[in-house]
Amino acid sequence: MQKSLLIARSNIRKAKGQTTTTVVLILLAAMMLNLWLILSIDYKQNFARTHDRLQDGHVNLLADSREEGITAYLEEQLEEDPRTEALCMTPVLWGTVSFPYNNGDVSCEGFFLSKDAALKRETGRVEFLTESAGSGVYLPMLYGGEGNYQVGDTILFQSEGEELKLTVRGFFNSAMAGSHNCAVNAFLVTEDVYRELEEKPFLYPSIFYSIRITDKNDSQDYEAMVKNLVSKASPQMRALSNSYAMVSQSRYISQSICSGIISALAFLILLIALVVIASNVANYIQENLENLGALKAVGYTGSQLAAALLWQFLGIQTATAAVGIALSYGIFPLVNEMMVSQTGIPYQMRFLPLVALAVLGFLGCVVGLSVWLSARRIKKIEPITALRQGVMTHSFKRNHFPLKDARGPLNLTLALKTAFAGMKRNVIVCITMLALSLVLVFSGLMWRNMIVDMKPFVDLIVGEAADSCLNVDCEREEEFLKVLKGDDRVEKAYLYHTVELRHVGGLALEANLSDDFSRVNNPGVVYRGRFPKYDNEMAIAAKYAREQGLSIGDEIVLTADGHEAAYLITGFTQISNHLGKDCLMTRSGYERMGKLSNASYYIDLVEGTDVEEFHEDVSGRFSGSIHAAINISAVMEGTSAVYVSMMRTIVIAVMVLSVFIVAFVLYLLVRALLNEKKRDYGILKALGFTTGQLILQTALSFLPTVALSLALGLSVSALTINRLVALFLRGIGVMKCTFVVPVGFIVIAGAGLTLAAFGIACLLSLRIRKIAPRVLLTEGGV
Amino acid sequence: MKEVLLKTEGLSKSFSSGGVLQHVLKNIDLTLYRGDFTVIMGASGAGKSTLLYALSGMDTPTLGKITFGQEVISDLSSDQLAVFRRRNCGFVFQQIYLMDGMSVMDNVLCAGLLASRDKKALTKRARELFEAVGIEAKLHGKFPTQLSGGEAQRVGIVRALINEPGILFCDEPTGALNSKTGLQVLDTLTGFNKKGQSVVMVTHDMRCARRANRILYLKDGSILGECELGPYVSGDAGRHEKLSAFLQEMGW
Repeated sequence: MQKSLLIARSNIRKAKGQTTTTVVLILLAAMMLNLWLILSIDYKQNFARTHDRLQDGHVNLLADSREEGITAYLEEQLEEDPRTEALCMTPVLWGTVSFPYNNGDVSCEGFFLSKDAALKRETGRVEFLTESAGSGVYLPMLYGGEGNYQVGDTILFQSEGEELKLTVRGFFNSAMAGSHNCAVNAFLVTEDVYRELEEKPFLYPSIFYSIRITDKNDSQDYEAMVKNLVSKASPQMRALSNSYAMVSQSRYISQSICSGIISALAFLILLIALVVIASNVANYIQENLENLGALKAVGYTGSQLAAALLWQFLGIQTATAAVGIALSYGIFPLVNEMMVSQTGIPYQMRFLPLVALAVLGFLGCVVGLSVWLSARRIKKIEPITALRQGVMTHSFKRNHFPLKDARGPLNLTLALKTAFAGMKRNVIVCITMLALSLVLVFSGLMWRNMIVDMKPFVDLIVGEAADSCLNVDCEREEEFLKVLKGDDRVEKAYLYHTVELRHVGGLALEANLSDDFSRVNNPGVVYRGRFPKYDNEMAIAAKYAREQGLSIGDEIVLTADGHEAAYLITGFTQISNHLGKDCLMTRSGYERMGKLSNASYYIDLVEGTDVEEFHEDVSGRFSGSIHAAINISAVMEGTSAVYVSMMRTIVIAVMVLSVFIVAFVLYLLVRALLNEKKRDYGILKALGFTTGQLILQTALSFLPTVALSLALGLSVSALTINRLVALFLRGIGVMKCTFVVPVGFIVIAGAGLTLAAFGIACLLSLRIRKIAPRVLLTEGGV
Repeated sequence: MKEVLLKTEGLSKSFSSGGVLQHVLKNIDLTLYRGDFTVIMGASGAGKSTLLYALSGMDTPTLGKITFGQEVISDLSSDQLAVFRRRNCGFVFQQIYLMDGMSVMDNVLCAGLLASRDKKALTKRARELFEAVGIEAKLHGKFPTQLSGGEAQRVGIVRALINEPGILFCDEPTGALNSKTGLQVLDTLTGFNKKGQSVVMVTHDMRCARRANRILYLKDGSILGECELGPYVSGDAGRHEKLSAFLQEMGW
């Protein structure tokens, strides 16, 4: 072992350049792997830790009734359930509110509760991050921070055409009700404000139930049971609920996307690092054939020589990976800042020794394996053959592009000869470009569908969108529709109302109702089969259908308002709003079970119409009968801003990283090529080739592989990216991705990367200037 | 009257080695004539190779002027020198320096296509030269590593002559060959010289020197003396004696 270590030290000293490249790649790979593991293991667990620390409920219910009989019934039933560990009931005021956020609006089911009452709660506690004296409102921390609300600012809530202005007094943290992604969103107010709010007609006296259960894995089943109880207690009661399973996923969507992308980049860099290491080992053997022969001649075994290489690379890997891991902790605050703007839950960074060890161990194994497999050739070297520079250095099989037959210019022909002679080089370029193609196409896809025009993203993730949504009392529905029909600002208005149902023997489902699904804006929601047409039909979320083993043509029994009805499944939907627990049915179909008391209409307005003005007009006309007026575009803008900003950062990072990786890989390859062909360049210069011609030949020699790999990689990626993204989003119910593939972006990125590769190769080949023909004479060989 | 092909005036070359300036060539005035077979001899370290690559435009002198025909080449940039070399010079090296990744024919055409685009004419000339040096057609598609040393050096000569250079510069062309193949190479060079090809050869081999019609002897960076041997005739004993006497006089 000592002998192997001695050789390893000597190798590192001799091959400083190769060592540097290995160091940079391993450093990046270790840093990103550690970041990925922190994000996917500890960052995700932060929700569980916060949830436990705040003793938050695993299931929460917001019910708009404080009627003694109902609350007593619910309390008794919930306490009797053996799974219930703790129950906390707090009077709150509930309303569908919207308020400005992230240069847009956010619309949510919000409930206001008194700060004092919140502090007394034993289950579902909150923790204050900022507090100040005076009356006003405390917001979930998600809405604070740079570019959003600060203490002392005024927040304007809007609901049912009414306005409510409150002063922001601080921010708090809540696991289950601290974001619009939680289904219910809490706002704490000081006692005096709470008393004022009790008088507001758009805020309904309600009870907020927080229930802790013995096993959090049962949260979805428990939530279904709670909803069942609610419909038994009072079919007319309006109720909303959430579960640990749903909130822990919906608050961490950005974390999932980000960790997915970081892991893809980490493995891409690792793959390149392994190819480079394997190539370095092969080059080392090639260049040191004589030395290896000499060492074998004096008694070193093949295993000892291979072990020396193994020690050399493992030494570099361990030291570098440790630095990479440390660097990831340096970078993490930036990633954390980006994540917190969506999760809304602060994360306290801490050192994770097991994660670090896992990264070190994993990198050690793959680097060791790569070195060992590439170093096996050493064992086959015969000392005498190696000392005579053996046959290993000359294994030309074909004279590609014979000059007497070649048609192109001389420099191009010589470049093609070089390109075809270096298969190992081509493989490295090809792997790098194929991997980069996928990353580039993904970035382009996100840029086109999230940053340039969000419609495809909204269609896929949100399901249905229009300009405005007005919720009207059914009693005045006919009149309302007549007014809309006569309003020349209205392009299209159709019923799109969400109610809650329960699948008998299954879970609660969100049902989107319409009179006529042929009028909806997003027909892509049903990706297999068809929309329901008749009152005994429904389309169901594919994710839920798969979980329940349901197929198109099956019959499913649903319940609402205490009535049951059977429906035929006509199609599968992929709405991801409720993490794959959705269905579609006609209004008449729903009315076989229950009756609507109010109805939401989606309205497309003529281009240029002021949505807020339109809402004011209609609300004024139907005073008291419009329960909610949502500016959907503004809500989209507000709630998606965090994703857009995150995606913009990721796209920029990916593009920069792509150019860096191309430059780095080319640097390695050009350097290796120049070393390998130094003698040939000397000869060619002696024969009369100019430096410019040789630089051109070198740079051109990379182009065929770069261009072909990119063309192949980009085409295949463009054709398959929607399927890959659908696979990635399957967890939230997306089955068929219909993002617009940005062909123009892909062509420009491919051409740009090819040109960049050519330019970088030219720049890196400038070293050829230093090769003088006289080295042939002075050194008697190069 | 011989036609002047290349002329140097006050040619000097210095190198800095370990902070010490070494004057390898000192104020050399030299004239080379068209059609001559000139051999440069001298002890190791005398500056023979340095003089050869200064004359051939492979390197630039520290001081002095080199004129090829009417063109002053000592003032040219490295790229201009490359163009000068491809048009006017051919090189035969001791280590041969064929490109291992190219076939025999491609090694030759690679140099030829630099100066001419007429591929057909070049291929024809390459075949004629191969025939002249005794390289069979079946070897044209082989790689250099599949040739013997003598064959490879003769391919090197063909490559050097493909552009019909004004001067053929040879640096110890038989140095890496055995005596039999070395002799074949010398016969080849002598044959081309007889057809009018100007040759400048660096050597310390008497056998090679005997082929020349003019010998220059270099010592410590200066031309110590020169000897005219006249046209080479095989088996000329007097020629050998004259050369021996000259070299003895030079302190060989």
